[in-house]
Amino acid sequence: MPRGSGKPQKLAAISYIPWLGDFKLEINISTISILLNIVVVNMVNPVGQGLFPTGNDLSSIILNILWVVFFFSMILLFNQRLQIWTYQRNVEKATIKLQMLADKSREEALKSVQKYAQENIDIRSQVTSFLDFFTIEPVDRDPFGVLNRLEHLLDNRRDRFKAFVAQIAPKAGKAEAANTEDILEAAMALNFIFKVVRHYLILGKKTKSLMIFVQLDMQLPLIMKMAEAYFNAQKTFSAGKPIGDGLGPLVASKLMFGQPKRVIAEDIVCSEVDISNRKAYVLKAEGPGGLLGKPGEAVKRLVEDMGGKVARIFMVDASSKLEGENTGEVVEGVGAAIGDPGPEKYKIEEVATKYKIPLDAIVCKMDLEEALTTMKKEIVEASEIIIEKIKKAIVERTKEGDVVIIAGIGNTIGIGQ
Amino acid sequence: MQRDRKPKFAIISILLTFGAFILFVLATIVDPLSTYSNILMVAGLALLAASWGVYFIGGRSLQRAEVATENVITVIGCKGCDIREERPFSEGDYVFKEVGPCKKCAGTSYIRAIYAIPIKKD
Ligand SMILES: [Zn+2]
Repeated sequence: MPRGSGKPQKLAAISYIPWLGDFKLEINISTISILLNIVVVNMVNPVGQGLFPTGNDLSSIILNILWVVFFFSMILLFNQRLQIWTYQRNVEKATIKLQMLADKSREEALKSVQKYAQENIDIRSQVTSFLDFFTIEPVDRDPFGVLNRLEHLLDNRRDRFKAFVAQIAPKAGKAEAANTEDILEAAMALNFIFKVVRHYLILGKKTKSLMIFVQLDMQLPLIMKMAEAYFNAQKTFSAGKPIGDGLGPLVASKLMFGQPKRVIAEDIVCSEVDISNRKAYVLKAEGPGGLLGKPGEAVKRLVEDMGGKVARIFMVDASSKLEGENTGEVVEGVGAAIGDPGPEKYKIEEVATKYKIPLDAIVCKMDLEEALTTMKKEIVEASEIIIEKIKKAIVERTKEGDVVIIAGIGNTIGIGQ
Repeated sequence: MQRDRKPKFAIISILLTFGAFILFVLATIVDPLSTYSNILMVAGLALLAASWGVYFIGGRSLQRAEVATENVITVIGCKGCDIREERPFSEGDYVFKEVGPCKKCAGTSYIRAIYAIPIKKD
């Protein structure tokens, strides 16, 4: 856990301490066996005979044997049942908490939709049923054209989202509608996590399987962390604050500051900027609504329009950090730095390969929660470092008069241009 | 906070069990006490029951206090000069939003950055 972050929800993830439960049960098992021994001893023997009857008479010997048998049966036979109880209890507690988070996020979604909804229309049942909306992944047994099919399905999904938001929140402007979509996404994610965990809890109870509970219990800290991240993300979305994932758009909008912008692909704006006598096409999703746009499509169109005469493509994105790495650390590499399900990344890689354009990636490290919640100061500072790095790289790796593309990838919520 | 609360319950529970354990041992080892062994046993049982009760009920308190965990700052700058101003975030703010004329010069002021600073606790 990051030190000094002081978030109670982060602590909740580590407040499941399974060993404490086990330890406690061990103590109780031994006390109960001692207790029952005393009960039996006191029933049969004269008072004061003690914990371990020492007499030579038959009853003492029998009692000692009974005691040993009882103790071992407790440890050997009921051990697994007791373990199931312990794990089941942890999972049950987590499920209650997940249900609470899912309910709260639904209420939060309803509250933020209500602002833009028409009066006298009940949106509750519509929103509740929409939270179960699903997308079936395309078949990949025949992988030919799978990304085209996936893109088509993702377009469908986005259209359905837009139509739904337009229907329930007709008063929302473009930015508010985009934010509402993000709010619904977060509520859907929480709803899904809760349902899956509940499924395994009930399955474990039905089958009395220790392994189901153990596996679930082991993953709980990560599951809870993810759920907390989505829950906090939703609050950030409803306020329209910029999120950590907005690093790419932030860098792009800083570069295109003061320049005329035009829309070049779905929800993507572009500006021409002069950097050390090179012509840079800077692009980002159109803010300040929570949009990702189609940066792959935009890069492809730009490159095709110029007949492939692009010296380099720079991509800026947020990247998940490993524990131990610092938030806001800027790292360089090669490749298409974009975390989409595939289609956009594919387009960029394809067009770069076709015209043999080098792909430079510059990423800023952050964890899932930081990517989904309000942008931290470290990340804002990282954007300045990235701009310096891009400018330096352009001077070092391209010639004067060259054309470069700089793509700021990410969710542009709270970041205009 | 929750993290402090849970182990507290667990510790109380363990202490109660330990008390019961000591009672049972005393009842069997110390001779004069053995006359009251039945009473001691009931007392020990009560302690054990209390211990389990504390452990199970104590663990059930899941509600989390809703507290603001971050301080969101909006930084305002100007296109014409190098004025820099900070204020708390208010809804509707976004980066590069123009927020009227500058106080110092004739330029337009705009939001330069929005970021969160964690609130240090304790
Ligand atoms: Zn000014």
